[in-house]
Amino acid sequence: MMPSNTPLLASVCYVRIAAREPLASARFASEIFGLQRVAEHDGEIAFRSDNRFRTLSITGDKSDGASVGVEAWSDAALDELEHLLRDNGFSNRRASEEECRKRHVQAALLTHDASGNPVDVVTRPTQSGRRYFPSRDAGVTQFHGVGLRSKEPAGDLKFWSTLGAEVSDWVGDIAYLRIDGLHHRIALYPSTRAGLLYAAFEVETLDNIMQSSYFMQEHQVKIVQGPGRQPVSQQIFLHVEGPDGIILSYVNGMECLDGQARRTRQFPRTSESLCAWGSESNDVPELSAQLRSERSRREQ
Amino acid sequence: MINLKDVSYVRLGSPDLEAAETFATGCLGLEVAERGRKSIYLRSDERSHTLCYSEGDPKDQSVGFEVEDEEALQQAAASLEALKHHVRAGSAEDAEKRKVKAFIGFDDPSGNHIELVVRPERSGRRYFPTRDAGITGFSHIGLNSTNPARDERFWTQVCNARVSDRIGDIPLMRVNSIHHTIALVRAPRAGIQHVNHQVQTNDDVLRSFYFLSERRVPIVFGPGRHPTSGARFLYFKGPDGMVFEYSVGVDEIDDEGTHRARQFGFEPTSFCMWGAKPAGLALPDGR
Repeated sequence: MMPSNTPLLASVCYVRIAAREPLASARFASEIFGLQRVAEHDGEIAFRSDNRFRTLSITGDKSDGASVGVEAWSDAALDELEHLLRDNGFSNRRASEEECRKRHVQAALLTHDASGNPVDVVTRPTQSGRRYFPSRDAGVTQFHGVGLRSKEPAGDLKFWSTLGAEVSDWVGDIAYLRIDGLHHRIALYPSTRAGLLYAAFEVETLDNIMQSSYFMQEHQVKIVQGPGRQPVSQQIFLHVEGPDGIILSYVNGMECLDGQARRTRQFPRTSESLCAWGSESNDVPELSAQLRSERSRREQ
Repeated sequence: MINLKDVSYVRLGSPDLEAAETFATGCLGLEVAERGRKSIYLRSDERSHTLCYSEGDPKDQSVGFEVEDEEALQQAAASLEALKHHVRAGSAEDAEKRKVKAFIGFDDPSGNHIELVVRPERSGRRYFPTRDAGITGFSHIGLNSTNPARDERFWTQVCNARVSDRIGDIPLMRVNSIHHTIALVRAPRAGIQHVNHQVQTNDDVLRSFYFLSERRVPIVFGPGRHPTSGARFLYFKGPDGMVFEYSVGVDEIDDEGTHRARQFGFEPTSFCMWGAKPAGLALPDGR
C-alpha cells in the first residue's frame, strides 16, 4: 500500500516518436533543435536533453515506436496504478523484457488514453553518468513535458486523473495538467485525431528562446507559434516544426505552484488566452484560438 | 566642465502634426499633454513633456539636457563660447515653449542642435497613456556624428559624459548611473538617429513587436538584446522616418570609480546577441 500523501507519478520522462523519415527527423532534432544524439538501438535513435539516458527517441517503427513515458513514483505506485487503470476501464499490460529494454526502463505498464495515445507508465528510467553535452548551444536544460491531441477530452481527462494529474487551468476545453510543483507537464488539446502535438524542452533563459527564433528563421525552419508567452502558466515558448510535422518546443519560466492549493481557472479560447504577446498559430488548429475541424480546413 | 544631469526632451519638426499625434498616441504610447496651434507636447513619465512636435521641417531637431541651475547654465555658455561654439541665448518666450526656467542652445561639433535647460517642468498628475505600451520614461537618444572620436572628446571633456562601452569606435556614453544617455552613431550628417523610451518588462517589448507588426509599422531592428547594456530592444519607424526604440533592463553602472569601458568588435553580434538583423536602420560604420 502507498502512503496516501505520496504522488503516483514522478515525472514525464520521455517521448518516443514514430516518423516517416526517421533520419531527417533525427537530423532536425540534433542539428537544428540542438539535442544530443546518443545511441541507436533497433532503429530507435535516442536523444538526450538532461541527465537522463534519453528523453526523446525517433524511429520508423509505426507499430511500437510511439509513446509518452511517465515515471511512476515507485514500484508500489506502479502496482497501484495497474489496478486503478483497470478499475477505471483503461486496459493495460506489463511490458516484456524486450519492450523494457527498448524503453531503457526497469518495468513498464503499457496502456493508452481514451483517444488511443500510447502511454508507458514506467519505473526507474535510465539515467546517465555523463553530463548532457549537445552539439548546438540552444540552452536546453531538461525535457519539460508534452502536449497531446485529444479526440476524447472527457475520457482522456479521466485517464490522466486516474494517474493522479490535476487540471491547473482551462483555456476553452484545452486542459493543462499538473503532476508536480509546476503549472503543467501535460496539456490536452481537443482535436479530430489522437497523437503527440508537441514535446517541450526547457531552456535556461528568454535569451535562448529569442536566439533560437532567429536561428530558425535563418535556417528556414517553420515556426508554428512564438516567441510567445502563455498567460495561464507565464511560460515563454517557441514551437518549431521539423520534418513530418513533428513539433518540438523551447519553453522557459513556467509558474511554479509548488503544492499550493489553488482552484482551477477558466479562460476563454481567444488569442489573448493563448499568447500574452500576440503570437498566433495559423496552421496548427489545436494551438489556435479558433478550433476548426479538419473538414472546414480542407474546404478553405 | 558642463555637468549634464539627464536628457530632458526631444523637439522634432513635422509637416503633419495630426499624423505625428496619431502615431505618438496610437502606436508609440505617449500621452498628449498639450495641443498648441502649431505644436503638440507629449508625455512619457512624470515630466510635463519629453517630446514635442512643432509644425515645420523634419530636419529641425533638437535635444535638451538638464543642468543644475542658472549659474551652471551661465558657466556652460562661457565655456562653450571659449571653445568658439556659437551659443544662442534662450528668450523667455522660447523657454516657456520648452517648459523650462531658462535655456541656451548651441551645436555640437557634428552640428546637432543641443539645448541646455534649467528646471524643466514636472507634472502633478501621473502619466496616463491611451495605449498600454508599458512606457516608464524617455531615456536616451542616438545622435549622429560625422566624427565619433572628435565628438566623444566633446561630450567627455567639455561635458561630463563617460564612456560605458564602445562598439568599434562608437561610444555609448552616460551622464548618470544609466549605462548610456547618448549613443553616437557615425553618419554623413547631423541628426537624431533614434529616440529611446524604457518600458516595464520583456513582455512589453515582445507585445509591442506583435502589436506594431500587425499595424504595419516598420520594425527596423529587433526584438533583440544589446550585449553592451543588456537591454532588450525594439526599433521601429515613426513619422518623417524618425526611429523610436523601446528597451528594458538597461544596466546601471554603480561602480563609477572603477568602471572601465569595454571594447566590442564592430560586428552584428555586438549590436544584438539574439541574432536580429537591422532592416532599414543604418548601423553605424565603425571604422
